Amino acid sequence: MARSKRFVALVAALAALALVVAGCGGKTSTGGTGGEKQAVTVKIGVISPYTGDVAALGLGIKNGATLAIDEANADPELKDLGITIEGMFVDDAADPKTAVNGATQLTSDPKVVGVVGHLNSGCSIPASAKYNEAGIVQISPASTNPKLTQQGFKNVFRVCTIDTVQGSFAGDFAVDKLGAKTVAVISDSTPYGDGLADEFAKQFEARGGKVVSRDKIQLKDQDFKALVTKIQGLKPDMIYFGGMYTEGGLISKQSKEAGLRVPLMGGDGLYTQQFIDIAGAANAEGDIATSVGLPLDMQPKGQEFKAAFEKKFPGTNIEAYDTYAYDATMVIVEAIKKVAKEMGADKLATPAGKQAIIDAVAKTDYDGVTGKVAFDEFGDTTNKAITAYIVKGGKFVPYEQ
Amino acid sequence: MHFNIADVPQQLVNGLTLGGMYALIALGYTLVYGILLMINFAHSEMFMAGAYFGLLWLNILSKQSFFTGSAVGLVLLYGVSIVLSAIMTGILGVLIERFAYRPLRHAPRLAPLISAIGVSLFLQNAVLLWVSSRSIPFPVKFPVYQYTLARDGSGSLAFTVLGASDKIVDKLGQGAHAIVQFSTLQIMIIVVTLVLLFVLDTFVSRTKLGKAMRATAQDRDTAGLMGVDINRIIAITFFIGPAMGAVAGIFSGMYYGNIKYNMGFIPGIKSFTAAVLGGIGNLRGAMLGGFVLGMAEALASGFISTAYKDVIAFVILILVLIFRPGGLLGESVVEKV
Repeated sequence: MARSKRFVALVAALAALALVVAGCGGKTSTGGTGGEKQAVTVKIGVISPYTGDVAALGLGIKNGATLAIDEANADPELKDLGITIEGMFVDDAADPKTAVNGATQLTSDPKVVGVVGHLNSGCSIPASAKYNEAGIVQISPASTNPKLTQQGFKNVFRVCTIDTVQGSFAGDFAVDKLGAKTVAVISDSTPYGDGLADEFAKQFEARGGKVVSRDKIQLKDQDFKALVTKIQGLKPDMIYFGGMYTEGGLISKQSKEAGLRVPLMGGDGLYTQQFIDIAGAANAEGDIATSVGLPLDMQPKGQEFKAAFEKKFPGTNIEAYDTYAYDATMVIVEAIKKVAKEMGADKLATPAGKQAIIDAVAKTDYDGVTGKVAFDEFGDTTNKAITAYIVKGGKFVPYEQ
Repeated sequence: MHFNIADVPQQLVNGLTLGGMYALIALGYTLVYGILLMINFAHSEMFMAGAYFGLLWLNILSKQSFFTGSAVGLVLLYGVSIVLSAIMTGILGVLIERFAYRPLRHAPRLAPLISAIGVSLFLQNAVLLWVSSRSIPFPVKFPVYQYTLARDGSGSLAFTVLGASDKIVDKLGQGAHAIVQFSTLQIMIIVVTLVLLFVLDTFVSRTKLGKAMRATAQDRDTAGLMGVDINRIIAITFFIGPAMGAVAGIFSGMYYGNIKYNMGFIPGIKSFTAAVLGGIGNLRGAMLGGFVLGMAEALASGFISTAYKDVIAFVILILVLIFRPGGLLGESVVEKV
């Protein structure tokens, strides 16, 4: 028996090792052949959910950041400075506790000079305190809850716009474009979902619409039939859902199957092909998702990004935040360059260097894939573009009149 | 809080379907507890594994034109997939018992419990790493109809069958509205569940093997002395429970349209609750507990609050346990010697 127990332990250890290897299996470039200057390696932490319910969006962030890091390492300017940038990829599983652990893992590595991360606001907010404590810059590509940048942390930025903007855009859209007069509002009991749904409801009511019901569901629930039956009796013109695609897809599916054939609208958390896969193309037809920024094809450097992405990750879909993760990473890369020139590359990983990177990010003026990237006094992006997408023929396409 | 009396029949149907799935899973918990006094926390993963095996067989068998050509073929496709998946999951259950629980049978009661949690984590992560972390669509290849009892345009009762794109007002005239609807899937789940529960109940109470199972549950050592092969009985128990769980897993996949590596967690906890509610160790109790819990959840989320439906379900559990510590159908004395 002792033997078989030891065997089980060995298997478990191997499994754990496999996890670690899979987690770190990004790119480790072997650049940094800076002639006379001493080669310096710094790390950018990339943390988002690689597993679990919203892994599609989280892995997209990883892909976008990987692409940016690869391009940075091919940049002759960075080579001249003798700097190699390494990605440190950590999975937060969309879980606040795991996110804080992951943040600690990043901040305890002195070479990490900046973090691109957290998809979920519920993860970004608690983790931001850790980055603040460690004095390293955090740029979220996707967390849209207003609270994130209103905690008084000077090191916290985001390249996506906030729920207040997105929610009120959606409220106007529902009234003006969909002609909805009544709505059933549902959210998923997370800071992101509740915040977005509340903003939507506020704007929808301000524009004369009526919220016939306001419900909160729980994450990982599958059965929304009872909720759908209740909403069906209230006969709303549409459903608004603040939350992610897993639950959103199921609500769309179950409501249409029950005969409640009204469009389901939601925010950026629904804007992925997986939403349509879960709901089923026929059920999702006509559903709407708003997302931060412009559609990829309309982003200033969208085509270039698409070409580079498809070369690097053939057969992979570009998800909602890939370009944001790319831009967030590039903003940190630019700051690293600037600080290296001013203070010397060897000072980058020191507390003073990290502080200088934060200051440099605050003054960012960068032409990214998503447009011009600059931050206001809170660390929010000045780019407030929002786009509505509608499901047509089993795909999200930009909504046109 | 929102009470619309017209919703009651439909909410009961929603609850009945959910309850049927809980009952099928709850049987696995209660069977194992009855015989080994052990809570098999890996049982929720049997539900998950069953769904994945089911999908595997569906994909394999769909390649044969025999199964996709006709209505009979489609029924057979799902029937055969469910049976094969149940057998595979049953074998998995037996293997888990053999390698993770049997070595610990004489250890303190906490040891197998921890082992069960380990097996559960292992299976979840195995599927996560080897299959996918994403939701996988679970195909329903036959048309799903809504069998609808309704009031037609003139207000009199009418019955109609609605396809996926039919509107009730087109069939029954303006102003028509449904009173209660059963979908093809709901009918299938409820009927198959009731049949399985009946078969299992008969098996345990009327057959010789069932008698041996009951004897083992009553007193394992004495049953052994009377010539019952204890290991065989336990293996059979660990076959039946997971097989039932697999059926529930496939139903869940068809009903919700997706399966995922962690799909067992919530239904597992709920079904365990159902087993306790009905009186753990008691077969009919698990069935009753499943249906009561499903109904309570549907009614609570339909009429009170979706956010508090679990709170309400667990308040019911606590109230039942205060007044009947053994559960609804449990014996008042749970202590076994």
